[in-house]
Amino acid sequence: MRGWETSERVLESGGFESRQRVLVDVPVVDASASGARTLGVTYWRTVERFTRGTIRATWSGDGGRLKLLGGATLLSFGTAQLAFGADEVHCRHEVRGGLLALRGGGTVTLAQRPAGDRYELSVLVEEYVPRLAARTGSPWWAGALYLKGQSPFHAAVSRRYFDLLVRSGPV
Amino acid sequence: MKVTVFGATGVVGRALLPLLADHEVTAVSRSPHEDAGARWVVADAATGDGVASALEGANVAYHLVHSLGSSDFEKQDRAAAETVAREAASAGVEQIVYLGGLGADDPDASMHLRSRRETGERLASAGVPVTTLRAAMIVGRGSAAFETILGLVRRLPVMITPTWVSTPTQPIALEDIAGYLAAVCGNEDTLGEGFDVGGPEVMTYRQMMERIARLLGRTPVIVEVPVLTPYLSALWLNLVTPVNASVARPLIEGLRNPTIAREERIRELVPLALTPFDEAAQRALSSEAAGTRG
Repeated sequence: MRGWETSERVLESGGFESRQRVLVDVPVVDASASGARTLGVTYWRTVERFTRGTIRATWSGDGGRLKLLGGATLLSFGTAQLAFGADEVHCRHEVRGGLLALRGGGTVTLAQRPAGDRYELSVLVEEYVPRLAARTGSPWWAGALYLKGQSPFHAAVSRRYFDLLVRSGPV
Repeated sequence: MKVTVFGATGVVGRALLPLLADHEVTAVSRSPHEDAGARWVVADAATGDGVASALEGANVAYHLVHSLGSSDFEKQDRAAAETVAREAASAGVEQIVYLGGLGADDPDASMHLRSRRETGERLASAGVPVTTLRAAMIVGRGSAAFETILGLVRRLPVMITPTWVSTPTQPIALEDIAGYLAAVCGNEDTLGEGFDVGGPEVMTYRQMMERIARLLGRTPVIVEVPVLTPYLSALWLNLVTPVNASVARPLIEGLRNPTIAREERIRELVPLALTPFDEAAQRALSSEAAGTRG
């Protein structure tokens, strides 16, 4: 696993884009619905492991929730949208709301795609509007909570996620 | 083709035997057994008694044996796998078919799942090519995991459940897993290969319980709490379900691991029409009502 990169920017729409990626020598999932689903399931499992079960993902027929200590919903998501082909395998969830979202909207995409003679694994959050981010009228500490807390936490989870995918073994 | 089936009296073994009717089958059990369609012999893979003669002349050996319920099941399963591997190599067996567990490759796999993986590795240790099919919960009468869930749904109008109810799984109908097992018999493309074998639907255990409840005409209330340990869960299951705590505990520990297929190569190799979960569960419930198993 090499080529770790993490970046974040604010889009013109006001939403955030956060992207992490690594390169691997061989695909970790195959181009199938099962492979795409594995990308998603492994990500949510990583969140649970990284937080030692403090934050858990629960799922029902119409989507999932990240819950803090089994109570407060930090984020809620739509059902997994799976896509697979020679160019990309991905699992995408729509962000619907929760305490950490100012409003519903945006997506989280867990993907694997060819990158030259290697494969890129990525986590891409697009058009997400974090409640904790600094904005006009919000308290001074709100931006700091995002910059020093949620943002590096997300990047650390992504890194652990890539590690878990690779350790689970190539297909 | 000559086929030897270890664990022939188990839930999967019983479902598999009729599908091997085109072969000359030696069915192995630990105690004397008689049934049409196969030559029955007594052997014990854990001790090694009778294993060599059960494998005499066999081309293919099915390893459907496990010791879940014993306090040292990992040790017993390891010993049984080593014995079968060694004797199969001596007998010139060309293929061992093994039913392993989905999720066993998870670095954080439970002891039960780790044991399933290790069993597969030991089976391959003597050089006979192993075909491994990795499955999650098998939906059918007598399947310990299915009976556990069924027992909970049946007996409790209100369920206080641990967080494993949110773990995704991909249950497969007993008839389907038996179909896959039969189809790989002697199939050269599967030699030395492992395949994830999932059912057609992915669901959480909570969704599974709700769907079984609907089939039973019940509407249980499911409350998820983060404080129930596998030990407490197993004791609780022992109290309210027909499944023994010694069987339930390793199963419960395994429920924290997602058990979903990572790949679908088996579907191209063996294009079976998979049974939807509700149909498989309904079939299991009906066979129970009719007093049949498998």
